[in-house]
Amino acid sequence: MKKILALVMAMVLVLGLVACGETGAAGSNEEGLSAQTLKVGAIYINSKNDTAGYTFAHHSGITAAMKELGMDTEKQLFIVDEVPEKKDDVLAAVDTLVGNGVNIIFGISFGYIDAMEEAAAEYPNVIFSHGTGYKSNETNFNNYFGRAYQARYLAGIAAGLKSLELGNNNVGYVAAHTTDYAETASGINGFALGVQAANPNAKIYVKNLNNWADEVNEKAYAEELINSYNCGVISQHCDSAQPQIAAQTAGVFGCGYNSDMTPDAPKAHLTAAIWNWNVYYRTAMEAAIKAGTADKFVATMGTSAYYGGLKEGFVDVSPLSENCAENTDKAIKAVKELIISGEWDVFTGVKLEIAADGTVTQKDAALESNGFQHKDGDFKVPMENVEVVAAGGASVEDGVITGTMNYLVAGVEEV
Amino acid sequence: MGMHIVKRENLPLWQKVCLYVGAVAAALLLGAVLLLAIGVDPIAYYNRMFTLGTVGNPIAYKVYANYLADLVPLVLTSLALSLAFKMKFWNIGGEGQFIMGALATAVVAIKLGGVLPTAVVLILMCLAAMVAAGIYGLIVAALKVKFGTNETLLTLMLNYVALYLLTYLMETKVPWNFLLDPTAVRPVPQSFDKMVKFPSIPLVGKFSLNVCVIFVVLIGLLIHVYLRRTKQGYEISVVGDSAGTARYAGMKVGPIVLRTVFLSACLIGLAAAFKVGSTGILSTTITEDVGWTGIIVAWLAQLNTWAIFLVSALVCVLHYGSTVAAATFAQVDSSFANMLQGVILFLVLAADFFTRFRVVMVKKGGSDHGNG
Repeated sequence: MKKILALVMAMVLVLGLVACGETGAAGSNEEGLSAQTLKVGAIYINSKNDTAGYTFAHHSGITAAMKELGMDTEKQLFIVDEVPEKKDDVLAAVDTLVGNGVNIIFGISFGYIDAMEEAAAEYPNVIFSHGTGYKSNETNFNNYFGRAYQARYLAGIAAGLKSLELGNNNVGYVAAHTTDYAETASGINGFALGVQAANPNAKIYVKNLNNWADEVNEKAYAEELINSYNCGVISQHCDSAQPQIAAQTAGVFGCGYNSDMTPDAPKAHLTAAIWNWNVYYRTAMEAAIKAGTADKFVATMGTSAYYGGLKEGFVDVSPLSENCAENTDKAIKAVKELIISGEWDVFTGVKLEIAADGTVTQKDAALESNGFQHKDGDFKVPMENVEVVAAGGASVEDGVITGTMNYLVAGVEEV
Repeated sequence: MGMHIVKRENLPLWQKVCLYVGAVAAALLLGAVLLLAIGVDPIAYYNRMFTLGTVGNPIAYKVYANYLADLVPLVLTSLALSLAFKMKFWNIGGEGQFIMGALATAVVAIKLGGVLPTAVVLILMCLAAMVAAGIYGLIVAALKVKFGTNETLLTLMLNYVALYLLTYLMETKVPWNFLLDPTAVRPVPQSFDKMVKFPSIPLVGKFSLNVCVIFVVLIGLLIHVYLRRTKQGYEISVVGDSAGTARYAGMKVGPIVLRTVFLSACLIGLAAAFKVGSTGILSTTITEDVGWTGIIVAWLAQLNTWAIFLVSALVCVLHYGSTVAAATFAQVDSSFANMLQGVILFLVLAADFFTRFRVVMVKKGGSDHGNG
């Protein structure tokens, strides 16, 4: 027994000694970063070897950006994957990455938010960049997200024109969440407004999965929207292509999300709202190199909350399939131009009207909700004032779109 | 030919050690083949894994702190389980008891943190966790003593009751749910590490030692004394060997079972208090599977108090080292690291089996037992 105890003690001693030996080397400030010396760290919610889905999209973005910059993804990229949204796990992952000497750490999941904030204060020499979050500081900690609603508006146009062609005003939407998350609410609203621009009589039925990834129900809910609500076009905010596959099986049409889903459902898919994460990752890595030291990162980026859209190429729609109605291409191009030029945006007091020939006209009209908002766990709290933006008014603020949008626009019904 | 499994008596220590070392070596060799297949240098990988990535690491002190943070709940849970296992009470409910303890800890910390002095709050957190977990274990013991129910099934099922209760509380954003952060738009657990937290003692350089580590060593000593030197400890081993003998010797088996299971679950609750009180936040994966891993550790350590410390330390090296090594090698994701861990544990358990039993070939129709 004493032998084992002695062994344990010996191990403790060895650990202690190594600890003493190593602490001396702390704080290796490399002056002048370059694409050859920058070390990138990433914390993923799923496996880095995924072949589809959220983590895959980010991993592809990071590696694509590194390749664009001529970096070595084997030697300059360090990843801790399958990290749950749990503070101490995230902090331990940060320690592992910092221990590898990384200069910038990307955390891709929303729930990493508090850990990223704490780590940014603890390691001022490292840049922390948090996807989908809203916290930041003025030196080494920023957040990034994209105007997915703009891409969804474009996909909505394709869906609206298709519904006109079909002579069926019912459009379905399988949603991970609805008004309990601004991200999902703004996505649904952007899409719905796009549909309505092409087909003012359209009605959008939303089914809430209450889960970010649930392949079984993603399929079942799409089937229900098609069978019980007679929807002719199915859009989605969820991980898999199941809703598109269900649409194809039922002989209806659909708009995917995250990646081009035409290969998954070639007879049904119109176009998908997609992310080009490499656009942000490249911007951030270039800023990190240019800043040289972590404390100048936010200043180099120019903002602590990167919120890119169609203009930056951060979001887009996938190439239109042959299933799209006539003139879809023309209409989407025209609207894209309006958004990129800054002349118009989705959540304003100006509505677009898209004629059957694809021409686009602007008209002042109030942006109205469907009368309900989400509050304290209750999805159906009546709104006193349904007018969100007065006719001709300026866009809803970015902070609302990313953080507090808790209502759906008129013409959308949660079923 | 047929096979019989025969219990093995008193295998010499050197043979046991050879079996274990051989199993680990075989597992590492198998892992090396897999690593080579995906284009990773196994020596570099294992080097990274077994040094926990401390070589050339500017913040190695953090590695030790994180390692110990993983180790504390595992050791304590394994020790607690060994108490029940000694009595042949198969407490598979470590996960559930841990969760109940964690919930109680968080409730006390959030409600009383900043209201009462920190030391008082910490003590109350521990007590609340121990009572909550203890009662959760006691329910099963009482049912077993009173109605002869199967404790394996009941403790197992109660794990899921606890887990879903925790998940519900972590995901339901409503005004009464004070376990979630009221300022966050989404359901985010309320963090309380600024208000109340187990302190760390600065030791060498930037390394500071969490006081829970010291507590766990002291608890280990107490358990050792309890099992070896007290009447109650003796009763546990007698009941474990044979409840009938215990009864014959005039021991009240029912109360002994209740008392020991309560103590076992209490200590698991304390492990949860140490964990939650050190991280300052709750989450749906707060247990890190210690309730399950603890069973393996207790078994491998053959319920020996000090062996539990050693086995836990090695299992944690495996666990922590795998994560660290996976970060450095692009081809290795955490699933691969988990698989490698699984292979090693599996082979060690197989070796463990052969230290306790041996397989004997017998001729069919052999007359060993008369009725072949």
